[in-house]
Amino acid sequence: MKSTLYFLAIAAVLFASCESKPTVQKYFVEKAEAKNFVALDIAPSFIKTDSLQLSAEEKTALKSIHNLNILAFKANDTNAVTYQKELTNVKALLKDDSYDELIKFNRNGMGASISTKGEGEHIEEFIILANNTETGFGVVRVSGEDMTPTNVMTIVGLLQKANLDMEQFKPLKAMIEKQ
Amino acid sequence: MKNLFVAFVFLLMPTLFFAQTAFNKYEDNAEITSVIVNKKMFQLMGQMKMDPKDKDAQQYLNLVKKLDNLRVFTTSNTKYVADMRTTVDGYLKSNPLDELMRVNKDGKNIKIYIKQGATPTQVKELLMFIDGTKTETVIMSLTGNFDLNDISVLTDKMSLPGGTELKKAAAKKQ
Repeated sequence: MKSTLYFLAIAAVLFASCESKPTVQKYFVEKAEAKNFVALDIAPSFIKTDSLQLSAEEKTALKSIHNLNILAFKANDTNAVTYQKELTNVKALLKDDSYDELIKFNRNGMGASISTKGEGEHIEEFIILANNTETGFGVVRVSGEDMTPTNVMTIVGLLQKANLDMEQFKPLKAMIEKQ
Repeated sequence: MKNLFVAFVFLLMPTLFFAQTAFNKYEDNAEITSVIVNKKMFQLMGQMKMDPKDKDAQQYLNLVKKLDNLRVFTTSNTKYVADMRTTVDGYLKSNPLDELMRVNKDGKNIKIYIKQGATPTQVKELLMFIDGTKTETVIMSLTGNFDLNDISVLTDKMSLPGGTELKKAAAKKQ
């Protein structure tokens, strides 16, 4: 009887905590069409590997990545307040318990951080946040399955030798050039 | 009895997690340069595959696994320099550490404190405070369970501030 009670209590806490809480994912959806924002969904296929003989290791590494979402906010002379507000929002979302902050750097209005979600080295999600008061901020969300450090290193190696399909990044380029 | 133990663990938990909050206020401040590396990062770095023949890399990997948190805060803003001084003093009062070394040169006052582990060279926490009237003021805090002898590897690979002083301090202790 007692244990059922405990179970119910824990279940209640769990359900309450994962109700309609704002998440990074929701934030991406919400801001995709918003002013000053540019959102991109990149398929892992932007790493063109047709011409390469992939090792088993490289294949597993590629498979571990499912999706890449990029959300960028462009700062200009008039939206400094919004920039601060939105940046604070993103940071607050990353403070959530389900994220582990790996590393953070901050200097003179510039900053960068990497956070992950997942048990131990079996990472399901990477969030990279980079910000600069003058240019804006960008959030990169890499979701996948079992993105271990070894897999990540393999991907980095692949990025260097594979052809990259930059077509998918065009909206981002357009935004930067619009200055 | 078991319940008592659990309660005790829960009681202690905040002290484990929040032991570092003294310096957290410097994290998101435009006037202060901060670098923070957390345990998870060290764990992941420790799992990377490196050439087993590369001795330096292996030594580095072994050390990285023993680290919990690295925090470096740097500022030259006089207001925050004063604030850092008070914070470090306060931190040392509530959390006594052994002074390992004190150097005063070139207008810099470098103090290095450690919390000793099981053996004299085993370190659980290392706190360095560089009080520079002409240069930048730095707080560096490193926690984990590492050996003072490992420090030289760390200062070389990570180019930490006060590397030479740390090396000297480690050598002296042996």
